[in-house]
Amino acid sequence: MNLAEGVQIVSFGILAAMMLGAAIGVVLLENIVYSAFLLGGVFISIAGIYLLLNADFVAAAQVLIYVGAVNVLILFAIMLVNKRQDFQPLRRGWIRKAATAVVCAGIFALLSTMIVSTPWAISTATPAGDASVVVIGLHFFSDFLLPFELASVLLLMALIGAVVLARREFLPDDEADRAQVEALRLPERPRELVPSGRDETVN
Amino acid sequence: MFVLSGYEYLLGFLLVCSLVPILALVASKVVRPSRRGPERRTTYESGMEPIGGAWIQFNIRYYMFALIFVIFDVETVFLYPWAVAFSRLGLLAFIEALIFIAILVVGLVYAWRKGALEWS
Repeated sequence: MNLAEGVQIVSFGILAAMMLGAAIGVVLLENIVYSAFLLGGVFISIAGIYLLLNADFVAAAQVLIYVGAVNVLILFAIMLVNKRQDFQPLRRGWIRKAATAVVCAGIFALLSTMIVSTPWAISTATPAGDASVVVIGLHFFSDFLLPFELASVLLLMALIGAVVLARREFLPDDEADRAQVEALRLPERPRELVPSGRDETVN
Repeated sequence: MFVLSGYEYLLGFLLVCSLVPILALVASKVVRPSRRGPERRTTYESGMEPIGGAWIQFNIRYYMFALIFVIFDVETVFLYPWAVAFSRLGLLAFIEALIFIAILVVGLVYAWRKGALEWS
């Protein structure tokens, strides 16, 4: 075992430990914002494992899409609805917990048997390595040109759909008034003016 | 087999980066006075006095910026291979990428006209 392999194994161990720890934190932490940030940690660890697997474009896409976009959306969604409130404990909560545990254990068993029973064939072809992004780029502009351009149309549809949904132009009158009031209200209290010097004349 | 080269620098950066917060916290722990007083809990220098809790409900408008950001983030992923392979691709690919961007600029103009980008 030479140095490169050792570095690779140690990196894999650190990344796997980070990923598992963060994933357990996502599930177990009470504070949902911490969970969201730890989910970002899981995504970053997965990106690192992709790098170890010589998939640098997938790693870059993982960081850009999952850490940059999906996680930001999750955080925004949490902060939009995040009102501190005291939750009442559910009656007979243990039934729900038991049902969840059974379902999760079933999925775990199913995935485990699938992983064990699948004959994983290791390709003997040389990985593209650094050139993989160039290969993807060449494909984008030759035989995958139409899907590439269609992707931009899809993104355009998503953008316009988001704008249309988020800014509805036709609201019923009473709802419009309420919406205006909601939009104008600042999310914090107006602060009092505190005198800070001898020129201060504010009462 | 690990074939990606040039990641030694990334590894070095990661090591240094992980040392920075540890060293900063340890150094400040060593240097700082351990006296306790009312001054210690106030805002530093000319900082604002905090009002209310930090856990407030955000205005829904900020979600709009996040959504638009996500769209252009995905666009970046598509343009990344084009930028890396730029020297291998011809003028035609440049025009095709311009078409790709132009289609998305239509959406940006639409969002702009609808006032989705106004920070109010």
